[in-house]
Formats: sequence, C-alpha cells, structure tokens
Amino acid sequence: MKKTYLQRLFAMTLASAMIMGTLSGCGNNATETDSTQTTDNASGTGTTDNTSGNTGTDAAGATDSASGQESGAVGMEGWEPFAENVTLTIPVYDRGAAGVPDVTNNYWTKWIQENFGDVYNITVEFEPITRTDVLTSYNMLATVGELPTILMEYDFDKLAEWGDKGYLIEYDLDEFARIAPTYYERMVELDQIKYTELNGSRYFVLAERPYFNATYTSITWYRQDWLEELGYTEWPATWDEQKEIYQRLIDEGYCQYPLGGEMINGVGSDKNYEFRTYPQDELEWAMYGDYQIPALSTDAQREWLRRENEKYNLGFFNPEYYVRDAETNKADFVSGNMFQLWGYTSANVDFLTAFYEQNPDGKIGMFITKDAVVDEKYGSVNAFRPWDPFGMMIGFSSQATEDEVKAAMMYMEWMTQEDVLFTMQWGVEGKNFEYGEDGNPVSLAEADPEYTQGFSNSKDYWCVTIESRSLGSVEADMAAVAPAGLPVDYTQDIIDNYYGLVKVYEKGYANSDCKFAVVIKASSELQQSLCELYAEYRDQLVTCPPDQFDALYDELSQKYLDAGYQEVVDERREAYEAGYTTKLE
Amino acid sequence: MAKNKEGAVMTKMTWKNAMKRDWQLYLLLLFPLAMVVIFNYAAYPGLRMVFMDYNPVKGYAGSKWVGLDTFKKIFRDADFIRALKSSIVFNLLDLLVGFPTPIILALILNELRYPRFKKVTQTILYLPHFLSWAIIGSVAYTMFRPTSGLVNIFLMNIGVIEQGIPFLTEKWHWAVTYLMIGVWQGMGWGTIIYLAAITGISGDLYEAAMIDGANRWERMWHITLPGIKGTVVTLLIMNLGRVMGSNLERLTVFGNTQVKDFQYQLAVYIYNKGLQSGKYSMATAVNLFQSLVGLVLVLLSDKIAKLLGEEGLL
Repeated sequence: MKKTYLQRLFAMTLASAMIMGTLSGCGNNATETDSTQTTDNASGTGTTDNTSGNTGTDAAGATDSASGQESGAVGMEGWEPFAENVTLTIPVYDRGAAGVPDVTNNYWTKWIQENFGDVYNITVEFEPITRTDVLTSYNMLATVGELPTILMEYDFDKLAEWGDKGYLIEYDLDEFARIAPTYYERMVELDQIKYTELNGSRYFVLAERPYFNATYTSITWYRQDWLEELGYTEWPATWDEQKEIYQRLIDEGYCQYPLGGEMINGVGSDKNYEFRTYPQDELEWAMYGDYQIPALSTDAQREWLRRENEKYNLGFFNPEYYVRDAETNKADFVSGNMFQLWGYTSANVDFLTAFYEQNPDGKIGMFITKDAVVDEKYGSVNAFRPWDPFGMMIGFSSQATEDEVKAAMMYMEWMTQEDVLFTMQWGVEGKNFEYGEDGNPVSLAEADPEYTQGFSNSKDYWCVTIESRSLGSVEADMAAVAPAGLPVDYTQDIIDNYYGLVKVYEKGYANSDCKFAVVIKASSELQQSLCELYAEYRDQLVTCPPDQFDALYDELSQKYLDAGYQEVVDERREAYEAGYTTKLE
Repeated sequence: MAKNKEGAVMTKMTWKNAMKRDWQLYLLLLFPLAMVVIFNYAAYPGLRMVFMDYNPVKGYAGSKWVGLDTFKKIFRDADFIRALKSSIVFNLLDLLVGFPTPIILALILNELRYPRFKKVTQTILYLPHFLSWAIIGSVAYTMFRPTSGLVNIFLMNIGVIEQGIPFLTEKWHWAVTYLMIGVWQGMGWGTIIYLAAITGISGDLYEAAMIDGANRWERMWHITLPGIKGTVVTLLIMNLGRVMGSNLERLTVFGNTQVKDFQYQLAVYIYNKGLQSGKYSMATAVNLFQSLVGLVLVLLSDKIAKLLGEEGLL
C-alpha cells in the first residue's frame, strides 16, 4: 500500500529528531560551555552562587545578608530569625522499619518545626534517604538539583566521594564556631578537627560517638533455654565447642538450621577482623583493612569464608540463605526455628518482644565478650571493628544557599542543646518515658501512639549531633539501651559485654579503619560493582564443597583483583606512602 | 483530474483541505502528540551527556567533553559484554517462547463458544498483567524455593521428586522459570490485540468454509491465521526492537547471587554501574546503544517484511 505524504513526513520528522539528538554532542570539546543548562545554584534563591565552593567565606559577610546572627554575638544568644523564610532540608534515613511513623511527617518533625523552625523563620523539611541505597538516593537528588542542605553518612568513603563529585562545599570553621560554638568546642575536645579535611579542603563536621571503641549495641542473641537443656552454663569460646553445640541442636531436634542465614546486604558484610594477624601491619591495614570493599584475595578473608563454608557444609545454615532476608531470619528466630540471631539493642528490640510474647517460657541470652580470647587451633581471636571516633560525618550541599547552610549550622547547634537533645532522645515524660528510682529516664516499652518516636528512639533525627543517648555514666548509658518491657533484664549483661569489649580494644585487637585525607578515586568508582561481584563470589565460596574451596578462592580472587580491586589497593598504597592516611593506633 | 490505477477519480488532498475537513480530529490529536513530544523527544538534547563526563552538580555547562571515551570504556568492560550477551539471549528466548503464545491462546479463545466461560477465562488470563513484578517475584520465591517452596513440597509429597528442584536458585532452572513466568504474566494481555484483529475477519469466510466442509482446525489455519497475519508481522517487528532491552523490575525480583550469570543483563548493568554509582554518562550511553540497535532491528525487519510482501510497520 502506498504511504501517504503525512505518514512519510511524520516518520521522517521522528527519525530526524532522533538522529539530530544523537549527533548533537559528537566531538570532544573540553572548553565548550553552555549557560542555559546549568544546575548551579539550583535552589534559585538569587543569593550568592555557592557551586564553585565558598572557600574562605567571610563569616561576618555571610551573617549580614540574612540577619541570622547579630554581629559579635556567639551561639544561640546571637541568633535572630531570618528576614526571609529559609528552607532547610535535612536527610533522614527511611529504613522501612515496622512500627515507626512516617519519617518526614510525624509528631517529632512537627516538634522540630515548632521549636526551631518557627522561632528562626526556617521551614524544616526532611528528605527520606533509603538506608540500603544511600548513594543512589543522593545521586538522584543531586541530578535534579535537590540535594538536602546537609549530606550525612557514617562511612568516610561516601563523604569523600561526594566531596570529589562536587556535592559538598568547603566551609569556614571560624564561621561554624561562631554559629555553633557548643558543637565546635565538642569537636575540638574530642580531637575531631583532624578528620574534617579532604584533599586539603575543609568539608566535614563530625558528630560525637560515645564509647566508640566498643560496639556495645551490636549483640548476638541466642536460645539460652536450649543451651541449658544441653547442659551448658555459658556460651563456649572455641569454634570446636560451638560446632558441637550446633550439631547437637540439629541432632536432638531443637532446630533444623541453628544459624538460619540471610543474603549479605551491602557494605560492611563479611568482616574478617577475627582472622587478621595482630598486631596488624600498618601498610596492609591501610590497603586491605577497611570494610567498604570486602578484602577478597587476602588471607584473612580466606579464613573468614572458609569458616562460613564449613558452617554451610555442616548444615548449620539454611541452604537457601542467599534468598532469605533479615526479616525471614527474625521470624525464624521468634518461631523457634533458629538458635541465634544478631541485632542491635535498644529500648525496643522488636524480635525479642515478639519472642517473649509467643514463648513466655522461653529464655534468650546474649553473647558476652569477657576478654580477648585466642582460638589457638584456628588462629582466630574475637577481634572486632570498633566504630570510628566520630558519629555522623556531615557536609554542606553545594546546591544550598549561604542562608541555608547557616540555617543548617544553627540546626546542628540547636540539636546539641541539652534540653532539646533530651526531649528528642527520650520523648515526653509519661508518653515515651518515666523516671526510674535512680532518677534516670527509662523508656516505656509501649509509647503513646501519638508520640511514637522514629527508629531507635528517633536516632535518625538527632544523629546530626550524637550517635547514642548518654546520661553520663557507663552503667546508665548501657541501661538506656537495654530492651525494655521484657521478662528478662539484660542491663547487667550489656554492661559486662561493654567492659569485655573495652578489654579486647585495649589489648590491640580492635583497630579503627584507616582514613584517607585524599579521595581514592578507584574506590569511589568501583566500590559498588566490587561489592556486587563480591556477593556473587562469596556465595560460590560458601556453598562449594570444602575440598574445592582453596582452588576456587584463588581463582575468584584473581578475577576480583582484575575487576578493579587491585586498582583500589594500589591507590591506597600510594596514599599511604605519600602520608595521606591516619596511623594504626 | 487525477485517477488511480482502477480509474477512480482522486480528490487532491492538501494540508489546508485536510485541516478544514478534519480539524476536530487534529485538535484531539494535539494533546497526545504534545505528550509524546514532551516526554519522548524533549529529553533528546540531554543525550549529549554520553559524550561528556557528566557531573550533575556541574551540569552540562561545567562537565567535560570526552568524545567517545565513555563508549570505549563500556565496550572494554567485561561486565558489559556479559550483560549484553545475557540480554540478547534472554530477549530472543523471550521472543521465541513469549511471542507465539498469545497467538495460540487467542486462537483457542476464539474457538470457545460458551460466552460466559470465555469471558471468565479471558479475565483470569488478563489478571497477571496487572500484578507488579514485586508481587510476582515474592510469590514465585514462596512457591519455588528448593526445600520450603510449595511446589517442591507438593512434588516431594506425591513422590515425583526426592530432592527439591532449584527453580530459582540454579541458573539453568532459573532461565526456564524466568521465561515461563514471563510468558504467564504477558500472554493473556497479549491476546487482546489478536482477538481484536480476529473480530475484523468477515464471518462470510467462515460460513463459506463450513459449507465447503472445512473443520475447525482448517478454518483456523486457512482463515483466522491469514486474517491476522498483518497484525502478527507488525507486532513481531515491534518486539524485535526490544531485543536489546530488559526489564529491571523483573530481573531484580528474580535475582540472587546463584544466578548472576544469567540475571546480569543490561538493565542491571545500567542500574549498578550507572545509576547507583552516579555515572549518568555511562548509563545513558548504554541506553542509547540499546535504542539504536533496537531502531536498526526495527528498520531491518520492516524492510525484510516488505520484501516478503507484507505491509510492514513504516
């Protein structure tokens, strides 16, 4: 059939549009500029363009423009409401956790607006960040020019990447000290200023992390009632004894897969600290010691994976572990299909509450580290990765205006005030907590629904200043993270575990990861794909027959190195040799 | 006055005349056309980011031009080659298995004579199309797990198998399950267009064939199938254009580390290496490559269809 003119014209137009669009960018012109498409200063407020970085911004000059602070006055006393409303966007993790309110709109976000935003003519908005996919969330926001006013993360590498990509601006420490003196002085006291720079530029502000040398909220829970029935009084320290327990649990019909198992989830999986040689070699620690990119190809990782392989082949893991998630694991533990489960402790640990509701006669214990224990037979030690000597690392968006950055600094200072922080962390008396006999607050197991706090006592809001609730003494602080409303009180166990972890730390078996003062470009570029590759390879290694393990490990290690890991460690070595790293303590 | 081959008089149609006569129709067309232009073509200038080391903060103005470096980098990347191979193989298999199924199903549905049964059957067949891949994926894992999946438990209980079949946890089994679930999800919806085409076939043809003694099978083979041949060719050409594409949702929900060899297709590559790492130039370059190959395949198959005497698409 003959085509009509209209059809031909239409087809030609569409084809031309595609070809023109495709060819429009051909060529290599590094000097071409285009003023029409810039995303600079995306907030469009008409204030100074911050995109190129406001290195050395004069603090006094900055305060003049928005009346945010009286000249000469320091801290909150000097603050005044902004003449024109400023929008402050704060990122908040959306963890998809059950039982917590909408992270962007709840009683506490409104409380912040009323008590901070309304006072200083600031509209405080919260930007949800997917906890399991932080980089993608921020990348997407950067693309549409809507980065939150502050960018924050726990992992140094992510912040370094953002600094390298231009998401962050340099800030003036003097200006920060003037607007947020309490925050600043704490950073000085905690010796954190040394971590604020990258490539010689000052990008980061650091929150406090109490007790960073002991990962006391990270707990492995187990069925103590089962262990006692098997005739054990406490959890044994050696791998051989542990194996015996797992095997007996299977043989005697307590559960089919004592360790359950779940697919590994992102960075921080498969930490090999237990199998490293101590004291660590500093260069090796700098090159392979971090947990952002799993160290496949190292001896420590080999031994870690060999242990996982053994657990799998002995039937301790569910053979389908790689298609199971954390929630399935929890459900199995609650319903008595698993022996042990890892989880963070806080005033409300959902699976413990559920367990005791369903098993009133059951009893759960927690593994308590009493001291460093070396398992001579396997050359392992109960080493761990302590947290960094700071909590959140926070940078200011290059897409924010000066006033917005200033409002962010004010927000951080305001959140650091004792009364504000107390309310955010504990909630309202009678609704979220009651005072105990010792005068310290005690969280209620079930808060008034209207006042329900966010995940882990609203931590994702107050983490801009501190990482955990602190009442001033180890005992009180450990008690504050003990699960409430259960038939068993774990406070003393958590305290004992804390002191045990400190002993391990003091004996040199817990070293913070190396920090780089320069961007490791290969790491930024390859981290995501290497983590994906690692997940694939580690499951092959865990599920292979034990006699094939070593050969497969060698083969996959080489592939992993070729896929970019070699490039990463080489660049780290260069940075180490050039003196751009922290030192092993 | 112009005449066509049969000698009928043809009225010369000018733009002006066409507009005057059918302006209401053109007005109606305006809105969908504007939508297509805005959402499908207005973004095209953004494609220049494939020739840049695009940084969203610097924008187009501040990002560096790198010529064809991004493409060179992609084609040297072993992961891209792996994803490309899997994409082509699985899309061709999808086409091979998934394309004829709605045709066969439409022919069968057309032969159903009891209207209520036909309608209920059609509705049941359409329903999977409206389920999201997230739901299909989680249901599939619940049903097909090797030891705790309902299907395996059932098969073991009736003694058909002794060990669970790793439908979704071993790559070859996964390939079959993945394809079959894809067919199941799309086949009902795919019948709609063929059933519509079948209704356009004159009932006289069937009547004449019945008088001549043709049975159901013969009527199907000699009347129904030739009657929808044009539609089949058009859809085949359109489907060939998708041979380089892949559905991230579908691949993600069925993904696990045991089947990465097959599951790692271009959509996953673009998401992992491009979007998650903020490398938009790379993601766009791969997507452009997919589109261009798709376009070439459509044009080529259109040409072949025309050479074979069919109407084609363009």
